[in-house]
Amino acid sequence: MRTLRRRAAALASAALLALSAGAAAADGGVLRIAMTAADVPSTTGMPNNGFEGMRFLGYPIFEPLIDWDLSRADVPAGLRPGLAEAWEVDPADPTRWIFRLRRGVTFHDGSTFDADAVIWNLERFFDESKAHFDTAGSAITRARNPLLKGWEKIDEHTVAITTKYPAHYFPNVICYLLIASPAQFEAVGADWNAFAAAPAGTGPFRVTKVTPRVSVTLARFDDYWNPERTPKLDGVELYPMPEATTRLAALRSGQVDWIEVPPPDAIPGLEAAGYDVVTNTYPHIWPYLLNVQEGSPFADVRVRQAANYAIDREGLATLLNGTAAPAAGLFPKGHPYFGAPAVEYGHDPEKAKALLAEAGYGPGNPLKARVMISTSGSGQMLPIPMNEFIQQNMAAVGIELQFEVVEWGTMLVGFRNPPGSPPTMGVDAINVSLVTSDVSYLWRYFHSKNASPVAFNWGHWKNPEFDALLDSVEAEFDQAKVDAAMVRAHEMVVAESPWLWIVHDLNPRAMSASVKGFVSAQSWFQDLTGVWIEN
Amino acid sequence: MLTFVARRLLHAIPILLGVSMLVFGLVQMIPGNPIDLLLPPEAPPELIAQMTAAYGFDKPLHIQYFSWLGRTLQGDLGYSIFTGAPVARELMSALGNTFVLAVPAALLGFALGVGLGALAAFHQGTWIDKAASAFAITGVSLPHYWFAIVLVVIFSVTLNWLPAQGMGFEGLPGSFAEARSLVLPVVTLSLIPMGVVARVVRATVLEVLNQEFVATLRAKGLIDREVLLHVLKNAAPAALAVMGLQFGYLLGGSILVETVFNWPGSGNLLNLAIFRRDVPVMQATIVVLAFFFVLVNLLVDIAQAAIDPRIRR
Amino acid sequence: MNALHDVATEFPPQADLVRPREVESPGYWRQVRNRLSRDPVTIGAGTVLALIVLSALLAPLLAPYDPYQGSIMTRMKPVGFEGHPLGTDETGRDMLSRLLYGGRVSLLAGVAPVAAALAIGGTLGVVAGFFGGLVNTLIMRVTDVFYAFPSILLAIAICGLLGAGLVNTLISLTLVFIPPIIRISESVTTQVRAYDFVEAARASGARPMQLIRHQVLANVLGPILVYATSLVSLSIILAAGLSFLGLGVTPPTAEWGLMLNALRQAIYIDPVLAALPGAMIFVTSMCFNLISDGLRGAMDVRIRT
Repeated sequence: MRTLRRRAAALASAALLALSAGAAAADGGVLRIAMTAADVPSTTGMPNNGFEGMRFLGYPIFEPLIDWDLSRADVPAGLRPGLAEAWEVDPADPTRWIFRLRRGVTFHDGSTFDADAVIWNLERFFDESKAHFDTAGSAITRARNPLLKGWEKIDEHTVAITTKYPAHYFPNVICYLLIASPAQFEAVGADWNAFAAAPAGTGPFRVTKVTPRVSVTLARFDDYWNPERTPKLDGVELYPMPEATTRLAALRSGQVDWIEVPPPDAIPGLEAAGYDVVTNTYPHIWPYLLNVQEGSPFADVRVRQAANYAIDREGLATLLNGTAAPAAGLFPKGHPYFGAPAVEYGHDPEKAKALLAEAGYGPGNPLKARVMISTSGSGQMLPIPMNEFIQQNMAAVGIELQFEVVEWGTMLVGFRNPPGSPPTMGVDAINVSLVTSDVSYLWRYFHSKNASPVAFNWGHWKNPEFDALLDSVEAEFDQAKVDAAMVRAHEMVVAESPWLWIVHDLNPRAMSASVKGFVSAQSWFQDLTGVWIEN
Repeated sequence: MLTFVARRLLHAIPILLGVSMLVFGLVQMIPGNPIDLLLPPEAPPELIAQMTAAYGFDKPLHIQYFSWLGRTLQGDLGYSIFTGAPVARELMSALGNTFVLAVPAALLGFALGVGLGALAAFHQGTWIDKAASAFAITGVSLPHYWFAIVLVVIFSVTLNWLPAQGMGFEGLPGSFAEARSLVLPVVTLSLIPMGVVARVVRATVLEVLNQEFVATLRAKGLIDREVLLHVLKNAAPAALAVMGLQFGYLLGGSILVETVFNWPGSGNLLNLAIFRRDVPVMQATIVVLAFFFVLVNLLVDIAQAAIDPRIRR
Repeated sequence: MNALHDVATEFPPQADLVRPREVESPGYWRQVRNRLSRDPVTIGAGTVLALIVLSALLAPLLAPYDPYQGSIMTRMKPVGFEGHPLGTDETGRDMLSRLLYGGRVSLLAGVAPVAAALAIGGTLGVVAGFFGGLVNTLIMRVTDVFYAFPSILLAIAICGLLGAGLVNTLISLTLVFIPPIIRISESVTTQVRAYDFVEAARASGARPMQLIRHQVLANVLGPILVYATSLVSLSIILAAGLSFLGLGVTPPTAEWGLMLNALRQAIYIDPVLAALPGAMIFVTSMCFNLISDGLRGAMDVRIRT
């Protein structure tokens, strides 16, 4: 009897030990995040749902050759080596980039990362003839990477990628291409749907469970190649919650630890209740893209400037409870490319009226314009009240705005089609939030060769001087020369205002006080490896 | 009875055919090419053609319809344009999640409704009747998506008793704790059936009670089992019919409540599909929900006929 | 009781026992009036509803502010704030003005689809019921198809496909209400047609149109109107629900459902303010339901919805 009891006690203490050992391993806790997406972003290694998908189901699980450096909150996030330790342009051929791959990297399924894996992933997106070609993923990748042309394996740890034309900003393009495990794809039966249920990449987290429309569970990948970035957290649970009020209720009732984009009005209440509300600038702009073609009211530069003067950006920031910063150009003030534009837009209704009068509009002849706005969407902030506010601003200077309210997906289609075509519903402007993370976007948004539907210059703005300036540095690898040209290009764009510069989002997210160690990078993406949950 | 069942089954076939045509036709009214959303701006024409063909959108309409119908009948609901996942799999799990809400909501709503309705009828004209009727009419007049938000504010955020959103389990709740997430959405959803059923039960029971011989018996102060049975039997068919419809509404109409509670059911799936212009998912969800609606009505008809042979015309 | 089962138990809503009566008898309507005047609930609901309708109609005169203009400096002010008796909304617009103007759209969205459905569905139903045979089969089988969709699902599907907007909301709700109205008018007509006095009129050589006008319509109209009043309540809730989902009326339109949606996030900041649009929907819809009940009792119509 006695021995039995003793044995029981020993067993119990062993169990206790095991428990505490488990507790030690479980130090970091599980972080539960509510995303704004309406569904779980795809887990195939090429997430949909825009950059929120990349933020949570892209970079934490899969890695690119060149990765983002998300370790600092005080400077815009730049690039750092990812699965490639080093890269260079072939001195003999400016369209040929050579990547030296990292050794000793394994995928979550245990297979080895090497040159073959890179080639296989390029084929996944760019070679329709391959059995592992991924149509859905390819559509997204190609939109972000329009200049990739070919590839070649040099040796087990070196690959070369060629571009259609020389472009110094190619690292800023290849950073969106993530590497998935070829071995795992074969293991699950060579099917992307099956792979989505049990994916494998090389990132610091691995996917342990996917429940469509409900959640994705991630666990720390203990064999991650970079000990400095091995997660402190045991795992992450990601929940799609498109309704801001639902996210707020979930946070306040303790169902999640972290929510993306809390309703701005709720921020003071959250802070008062002890939650942390984190904001930081990131390369985002919330503009109106204007149709500047003949026949549009915005063909006249004075009208475009008047509209820019009419907007009360500070008021808009008030409406958003300080979660937005006024915009004065594509890049925010203080950005290295902002420069010193000839015009500086502040809230100046009198100047707006004067410019409108100059352009032939006045009380008897009000200017009317139709704008496409969305009900929601990634980076769209709070489109409805914000646009209603702008509508009131415009009315105050004699511009009558009419809205064509559409769903986010419909807007993206309109954005890809030229003004006047049926998908645009004949609107004069479109309110689509956009990325400004690197110089390639000056090409994409404003160079006339990229006029819609070719690429993102929706309103067909054309300035030969501007085009020539960009052309002169596209193949330039001297960063100083590129930078100088970018500053001038940005000054030109601001003065001629093919867009209305409205606000930059400050990317608010709210988290419970137990979430520790988060560094809010100036980026669309964030690093979760330094975060832990304190009990 | 068997011939009645057979006749009703046959009757359902043209209805379902009509439903399929209607849904297919409606979906064709969406402006633009449904796969536009998936295509990058620089999509090469081969890729556009390839994807259009992959989803069968290059064929003439009637061919698309018949091939869709044929596949649907075999249980193949196609693939989501957006996620590439088989629609049938997603729809089944979503429908399951909706059933998990709809069944308890229906049971709760029906039980409360029958209780309230009968109570009101037996006490016609008294304050009990007035209170029960007021409760019932509130149930049908309240915008329940609004009521849901009020419940969340009180019971989740302020009192912290119940989860504010989400399902918290898969399939069926495994424990009492897991079932907590059911409480608020089920209560919200049960409001409408409660109100509707209470009103119908009250009216029907009153009708029976006012029949001469029942009235005589009641005047003598006798409410024996036979009278109750008589009331029940005569009131049941009308109540059943309404319950059938209401259960159908719960299946198809939970979209608003699912939105508020972020519940991964069929309404949530349909909402997502509409906003994504995901044609295969939209078509399949609407058709399958309509199918269940028709099925439920069919079952109700049969149940009514079983109770009351006069219905078997 | 028999009639209850004989008519249309298969497909509720069902009209049972329309009292056969020679129409245009003044006594009947006097009786209805008398009963109504002794019914305080219906009178109360009617008065409240009349006030709501009147204030919506007179919104331009009553509203203290432009419902589409506001100042960001005075946004989200509470009920009772100086100059804004019901506070201001998320962009600083006067709530009272917006609720008054919102009533116009919400009432329109409640009444217009039902009225349109009444005209279309009523006609089709009476025609089907009166002529029977092939006409009946054709109309009723198509109705069956529409009936196979739960109403909100049909409304959402149509609105989702046609796109958001007031006109599409009205169209989709009209389509939702046509089938039940066809059902009910068809079954009532079928019953009325069988009554002796109608048979007699028919035998004496009355033309179909005359018969429909004098005998059928007058008997059918009552039950259908009662039913339609309760549909208005449903229509208001459905229209607001569509706006709530972002499939209905588009911003900045002042409409109760849309205001409810926009103020939803304010529920943690100012619950009273956020509750106002929902309360308006609730009260209005309640009034229509109570009136429908009152009319049903007073007109002695037995109908199930």
